[in-house]
Amino acid sequence: MAGGLSLRNENPQDPQTENNQRHSSEQWKRRKKNDTQREGPGETKQPKIDADFLEPSVLLDETHYQEGYKSGYNDGLPSGKEEGRQVGLKMGFQAGEELGFYQGCLDVWMSATCIDQNAFSARVRKNIEQLAALVRSYPLSDPENEQVQDMMEKIRLKFRVITASLGAKLEYEGRLASSKQEIEYL
Amino acid sequence: MDGGAAELREAHRLAGHADRVWALAWNPAPGPGAGPVLASCSGDKTVRIWKRAPDGAWHCSDVLEDTHNRTVRSCAWSPDGKLLATASFDATTAVWRYDGADFECVATLEGHENEVKSVSWSPSGALLATCSRDKMVWIWEVQPGNEYECISVLPGHTQDVKMVQWHPFLDILVSVSYDNSIRVWAGDGDDEWHCVQTLTEADNCGHSSTVWAVSFNLKGDRMVTCSDDQTLKIWDTSADLSQPKTGEGHESWRHLSTLTGYHGRTIFSAHWSSGDIIASGAGDDAICLFAEEQSGMAEGPSYKLVLKKDKAHDMDINCVRWCPQDPRLLASASDDGTVKLWELRGSLLD
Repeated sequence: MAGGLSLRNENPQDPQTENNQRHSSEQWKRRKKNDTQREGPGETKQPKIDADFLEPSVLLDETHYQEGYKSGYNDGLPSGKEEGRQVGLKMGFQAGEELGFYQGCLDVWMSATCIDQNAFSARVRKNIEQLAALVRSYPLSDPENEQVQDMMEKIRLKFRVITASLGAKLEYEGRLASSKQEIEYL
Repeated sequence: MDGGAAELREAHRLAGHADRVWALAWNPAPGPGAGPVLASCSGDKTVRIWKRAPDGAWHCSDVLEDTHNRTVRSCAWSPDGKLLATASFDATTAVWRYDGADFECVATLEGHENEVKSVSWSPSGALLATCSRDKMVWIWEVQPGNEYECISVLPGHTQDVKMVQWHPFLDILVSVSYDNSIRVWAGDGDDEWHCVQTLTEADNCGHSSTVWAVSFNLKGDRMVTCSDDQTLKIWDTSADLSQPKTGEGHESWRHLSTLTGYHGRTIFSAHWSSGDIIASGAGDDAICLFAEEQSGMAEGPSYKLVLKKDKAHDMDINCVRWCPQDPRLLASASDDGTVKLWELRGSLLD
């Protein structure tokens, strides 16, 4: 369609082209109007047909457009949904797995504290509580929440503070390793 | 006090390391009656301790080895002179106990993801800061029994962090980075540390390339930074950023002066002596000394070059450090594998 329009614009002096340009802009307006009036996939309003006998052939453009749009939309909807499902499953699973890992560590640490109140220092106990609060407040059911990335970073940092203090070599292995940088010898 | 023009005389050359020497640290409290004690760390994975004999000759008294399995990049003594922290490319920081005679490795701090670049003790000796190529600054608290607890892991820099340095008496930490910025960190008393100021090229007349080092003056109201942009910058650090801001008019640290054109390569190190002389060491193999210009102008301090020592070493100079017990004794460390001791002689006045 776009290719067709540009061909017409090649010779602006040509009166024939000028007519076509005028028709094109009218068609464009009509098409836009049809789009906003669309009530659902696959439904189109029939354009008004007036007495101009050339109208149907000029509107062939429009009809083809409508058919093509409908066809593409019908293809795209199910495949988009399927892809969305795959991505959501993957991202959701990853986030869930990582949080589950931290919750597991928290459960073990808190059990240790139940057995022996002084298993950890006051500072480490406080950090464990803070981590537990962070994990609890992660919006699992709201993946669109813009803050999820920040929250996950906070959780990861808090986890590292705790494991470093405990001298424990614990690390969540599931997520992709950070990109390798060239070693800088300075 | 001898007269004559200021000169930097090479007094001693300490050879022994098998690879480039990255950093130096003078013991701030070597003990009653003891002479100065200097630690140097190297790409040969060791730390060497240097002491002066009664006859004035320097020798290597200890080699701290078999602990790090990569380059030791930085070392720092605790304020009481009893602990030496060593930071390594092997991503760990070791802490050694020094009793005046022997060294013993008593702790290893792990946590950074990759090469640790710098380590610094807080003025009270209660906190230890490290920084790394992983862009993080870590703060640890010293506990009894050689235990260390991690207080905070501070993100903020967007690139490799080259050096961390505490203020001489406030619990304020400064970090400098490959991202060209200088960050100032303070705690709220409850283990929450935040970046309270960032000094950048755009907003603060900051550096336009990697910032390699930072050093405070004795009074803590001035700081010098040096950079790959071949300049040194002096900053007014009199504002106490460790206090929470009280509404309008909170002060911040600000740029005072830029020293340009003295080095033709990256300036890797700068150190402010207790005698108020700034020493710089650079990739042009030269050492420069600067002092404040006593012009008495109301516009603020300016600094002048006291002297430039070309070819101080055969290769890049990585570190310069003034001796705390003798403000005219300067140590320099180089890619050439040696440490040199220099005596500043003559009058600094024009």
